[in-house]
Amino acid sequence: MLKVEGLERSYTTPDGLVHAVKGVSFEVPTGSFFTLLGPSGCGKTTTLRCVAGLEQPTGGRITIAGTVVAQPENDIFVPAFKRDVGMVFQSYAIWPHMNVLENVSYPLVVRKPRPPRDEIRDRAMEALRLVGMDGLANRSATKLSGGQQQRVAFARAIVRHPKVLLLDEPLSNLDAKLREQMRYELQELVARVAITTLYVTHDQSEALAMSDNVAVMSDGLIAQMGPPRTVYNRPANEFVAGFLGGANFLDATIIEADGANSLAAFDEDRGSVRVNLPAGLGKGDRVQVVFRPEDAALRFSAGNNDNQVRASIARLSFQGGLTECHLKVGDTLVRSMLHPSVQADTGADAWIELNPARCTVYPAPDHRRSQM
Amino acid sequence: MSQISLPSGAVQRARIKRAAKAEKRADIGWAGWTVIALGAAAACYFILGPLLMLLTTAFRGPQDFLPFEDGAGWTLDNLAAVYFDRNLYTTIIPNTLIFTAGSVTVTFLIAFTLAWLVERTDLPFRNGVYTIILFPLLVPGIVLSITWIFLLAPNTGWINVILRTLLGLEDSGPLNIFSMGGMILAQGIGLVPFVFLLLSAALRSMNPSLEEASNTAGASPFTTIRRVTLPVLLPGLLAPLILATLITLEQFETPLVIGFPARINVFSTRIFFELNPDTDLPAYGRAAAVALPFLICGVLLLLLYNHFIRRAESFVTVTGKGFRPMRFALGRWRLPAILFISVYALFGALLPGFVLVWASFFGYSLPSFEILSTISFAGYTDLFNNPKFWLAARNTFIVAGGSAVIVTTIGVILAWTILRTQLMGRWVLDFISFLSLGIPAVIAGLASMLLYLSMPIGIYGTVLALVLAYSYRMAVSTRLTRAALMQIHAELEEASSVAGGQWLTTIRRVVLPLLRPSLVASFILLFIIGFREFTIPTILQSPDNTVLSVMMWQAFQGGKTTQAAAVGTMIVIFVIPIIFGLRRFVLARDGRD
Repeated sequence: MLKVEGLERSYTTPDGLVHAVKGVSFEVPTGSFFTLLGPSGCGKTTTLRCVAGLEQPTGGRITIAGTVVAQPENDIFVPAFKRDVGMVFQSYAIWPHMNVLENVSYPLVVRKPRPPRDEIRDRAMEALRLVGMDGLANRSATKLSGGQQQRVAFARAIVRHPKVLLLDEPLSNLDAKLREQMRYELQELVARVAITTLYVTHDQSEALAMSDNVAVMSDGLIAQMGPPRTVYNRPANEFVAGFLGGANFLDATIIEADGANSLAAFDEDRGSVRVNLPAGLGKGDRVQVVFRPEDAALRFSAGNNDNQVRASIARLSFQGGLTECHLKVGDTLVRSMLHPSVQADTGADAWIELNPARCTVYPAPDHRRSQM
Repeated sequence: MSQISLPSGAVQRARIKRAAKAEKRADIGWAGWTVIALGAAAACYFILGPLLMLLTTAFRGPQDFLPFEDGAGWTLDNLAAVYFDRNLYTTIIPNTLIFTAGSVTVTFLIAFTLAWLVERTDLPFRNGVYTIILFPLLVPGIVLSITWIFLLAPNTGWINVILRTLLGLEDSGPLNIFSMGGMILAQGIGLVPFVFLLLSAALRSMNPSLEEASNTAGASPFTTIRRVTLPVLLPGLLAPLILATLITLEQFETPLVIGFPARINVFSTRIFFELNPDTDLPAYGRAAAVALPFLICGVLLLLLYNHFIRRAESFVTVTGKGFRPMRFALGRWRLPAILFISVYALFGALLPGFVLVWASFFGYSLPSFEILSTISFAGYTDLFNNPKFWLAARNTFIVAGGSAVIVTTIGVILAWTILRTQLMGRWVLDFISFLSLGIPAVIAGLASMLLYLSMPIGIYGTVLALVLAYSYRMAVSTRLTRAALMQIHAELEEASSVAGGQWLTTIRRVVLPLLRPSLVASFILLFIIGFREFTIPTILQSPDNTVLSVMMWQAFQGGKTTQAAAVGTMIVIFVIPIIFGLRRFVLARDGRD
């Protein structure tokens, strides 16, 4: 099990003190797959490097399999080479002066005491077989393609069955098609080796597809943490909603405050929707109603109930399996994913049907600011 | 089935061929081909012309004739005279080997330690140290060699005078610069900045993830250094080592200034003395005969260098985010490290600089307060009233600037041709340009001398002859420009031609502006090399084309110590503004301020 509590990491730079990680806590149960997701500069890679032992935290505590490996206040810091972790680097860091087998054998060769030569070879070959590279064991590391380097890096990371596997954006250097293929492969591999895994990425589809739990990070803090479906369906705040899945935001006003059955009216009498009102908001408050493009079904005549908003079709873009529709609600742009069989015309009026169960409400930004 | 019938195989092949041919020629037009042809011809002329002349001269005699004078013919006498001479095997070759091996060892030990301290440890003031170490790079070798005489001459050298006073010794010594040890020391320390520059670049280019990967794989820091850091860096370290060997082998200044009084001859000085014997007329054929194996050694070392560079380049992997490499904490080694750098800075830069300026005012006298009153500006007033000084200064700027412009221009043409055209034989151009790196300056000087003496156009002895002779160093500019051009996607040029730009327009408006930083860097580097140059103008010297470095040597040899030191000081003063250009255009590319 990996446990990170109140992790902090600050640097002094010529421009002053920079707080890269400001108190991050999470727990990864043994054998489970945990992802840190966020834009660049959010502190996710720094967090990972602190777990690896490549960077020294300035606060908090890291525990791997019951052993505290870093706790600055007690002057505890176990360097990387004593931590029993495996890591796949963003650049793969395949040693160019060794061949594939030597690269993968290395973690066993430098282990003390060194296992017998045959055992090293067998285990390295086993790891290579796992990633389907056993046929290229003697190939020079400088003659590997990106995908092959990635596999070798993975085999090298797991060859000694580490307590924690760390993956630092391992797919970001691959081209789009290979990335998708390697994503499935990596997913299967991780499931097969069943090692506690910490994964860092800025790609939401990787995070959602692969993880048992996701932590969305922003500005050195965890914005939301939970199983992928929960985080996607119930984003805790505007940042998470926007970062995951490109949600639509519409301004509205609460006209009936009744808990889970409140009513929010969109501006300019465009319609209204039943919403679950968060605590602290009441009648007359300005809010934002957030919903996903795939939840925005269209109807081309007005219904006579709630849960719809009037819009006009600004652009249609046929993409094969679906049609992406851009709609104007006043000045706000809303995206909707339609089945390709739906016929529509640019400039026509349309009503977006909203499913109350899939809408989330946040205080409007200016409203929130006035509260602070 | 398709309704369109395909043309027969032969017709189709012909069409494909025509299309491929048309594609190759597309856009370039006559103007383009003219420029490329001129560039290629110039490169061949500057590099192959002198070399062919050298090769034939070795087989022409009798020895006191110019190779193609009336009365000269084919002969093996030169080779016989040189290679049946025992002296070659008992002194010249062993001396050259000891001198080269010794100097390179000194250079490498110091340069590697400095580079490692600056790039891989938590040494304080690293950027300042970097600049101090590089400063002597700008000072011509001849100036440094002469300052070593000021410091270590057996009778008058400062260090010897001080040591005698301290130890209560009489007579001369205890140290003597005029010895093999002295030569090795002077040459070894003089080459440190250049090798430091290459080594620190190699240390910096290593992807820090490679070491971190070893670390997370469970290897201790020591194991990581042994099993990952050193093997990965090895080709990048060996390449500068080979280049240092090549440069030391072709060294002429130190063997002339220090080795000659000590009667220690090496290959380069032997060639020079064949051309400037005490009694006889110059022996062109013999000089050329001595030069041949020397040249072959140079080219072989160059090929070896190329091998390591390629290997080092294949080791450069995708780098990840800009995380800094792990810096070794010096801890209690901090003080010894600072001491080491201070001692190097003292002997490599500060003391030579100080003794030079001091000697320009006080001659050989040791610094003391009493002597300050005897300060004499005669060295400078004589110098500034001497029209020869201004002529030499003018010549130096013309030759350094002119050759830098020529070589940079041809370098761009070659680089573009090699990378952007399908021209047959473009690899030959690449090879010729690279070959220039392996040609010792003594041989370039000798070969140009033979060429321009034999040409009936009266160019020998002029400044123009120097400009042309200097212009063989094509490799610097071709390599720099090529690296920059590789970063410029060919589509940028295609976009210009699609937009209606003709070839020359595209080159002028797109390629050259994008290449500007590397062109300026190439010009500055070549200008510095030209400004430092001593060997070629010494061999080609005449009263009209004296440059500053030659003038300094002549004054020193004529016993005018103060004047020699004054010329040396002026060289350094002229060269200082170049530092700023260098810092801005060359070092800025490494991400330093």
